[in-house]
Amino acid sequence: MSSMVESATQVRDTAGLMAALEAVLFTLNRPVTVLELQDILQSTLPDIEAAATNLSQALTGRGLFLQRHQDQLQLVTDPAQADVVRRVLRPEYPSRLSPAAYETLAIIAYRQPLTRARIEEIRGVNCEAVLESLEEKGLIEETGRLDAPGTPRLFGTTMKFLQILGLRSLEELPPPPQSASTSS
Amino acid sequence: MSREVAAELERDPVYLVRTAAFDGPIELLLTLAQRAEVDLGAIPLASLTDEYLRAIEHERPPLDRLAAFLVIGARLVQLKAAALMPEAQVGEEEDLQAWEDAIKGRLEEYKRFKELAESLMRRHASGRFTFAGLLEPDVIPQARVQVSLDALASAFQQVLDRLPPPGPVTVEMEQVSLADKLEELRRMLVRQPQLNFSAVFRHARTRLEAVVTFLALLELIRIGEARVAQDGTFGEISVHRQEKKDEA
Repeated sequence: MSSMVESATQVRDTAGLMAALEAVLFTLNRPVTVLELQDILQSTLPDIEAAATNLSQALTGRGLFLQRHQDQLQLVTDPAQADVVRRVLRPEYPSRLSPAAYETLAIIAYRQPLTRARIEEIRGVNCEAVLESLEEKGLIEETGRLDAPGTPRLFGTTMKFLQILGLRSLEELPPPPQSASTSS
Repeated sequence: MSREVAAELERDPVYLVRTAAFDGPIELLLTLAQRAEVDLGAIPLASLTDEYLRAIEHERPPLDRLAAFLVIGARLVQLKAAALMPEAQVGEEEDLQAWEDAIKGRLEEYKRFKELAESLMRRHASGRFTFAGLLEPDVIPQARVQVSLDALASAFQQVLDRLPPPGPVTVEMEQVSLADKLEELRRMLVRQPQLNFSAVFRHARTRLEAVVTFLALLELIRIGEARVAQDGTFGEISVHRQEKKDEA
């Protein structure tokens, strides 16, 4: 065990850290926070961020894809390979969502984090059921509480949201149409 | 409301209010109420609304006039409510125009999100997902199951074979719960941190009870409170108590 830690500390150069990051993300096979990675790779935050950027670039044109949501990283298959992966994995194919669900997802994706009240203000209807269903599907989650009377829950999208849309990160969302209104 | 608009409305009012406290177009009532030149407290809005509803039953006005009445009526209710609430004041700048702009802005905002929702929907429908590896991250670590699944299954089959076969079906409530069996297994493992597989089932009198006990054992393995191991290929399977979170 101690020899593993020693060899990890030897990995200091950029290429080595990128390779170590790739190996760790591959074995853990789940979203890993940069904080965890600091600990696992015995490295600093800026070095890990740099390694993540390098890895993402190095994977261009390959079958894998570095996905990022807030402070989490995950190694996943490239959306361009979805068909072939689906053939071998036969994963449960998530059925289409309702128009209300896509609307709510869009509002949350572009305005996160925000409260249910704000979502309902935009949609003009009660959103309790649709939020519950999106949360159950793991597409949104509570990201915190608003510091206001009643400390309402704040909602944000999840890693899974990126996965069902094949997005590298939220920055890859289609740009919002020109907005004249003031955001919350 | 501009002077011209007010004059225009005076000629063709949305609705003529006839009450003791105010007699005239409803637009004028709103303008005066906003300037606090008329006391809304003296005007019964409920009966005003009732009369309006009766009036439009006879002669249905065009949609925009109906909408105008709704907007003005809503604003009057808001003003009256504000007047009734102590210390609540409706900002003066918050006039009808600003109110309309706000509603228009909100509709535009909603329309934008509707478009975005459609683009998300198209992206989702294209099926270009990303996938994580096949193994779920919460797979039970190998360390907890040092027995082949076949061996575990056949050991359980032996337990079942020792129990009386299911007789004619008599419908009765059997009181075997997974929660009880979990507790029972935990207690057994506290008393004796290492048990033979068959000993786990020594209290089971029926097949159902044995099945529930087996499920409870699997659950303990899953949550990391027990592990199973086997001495050699055909050796006795043993169940060991585990402290949670003691393995990687």
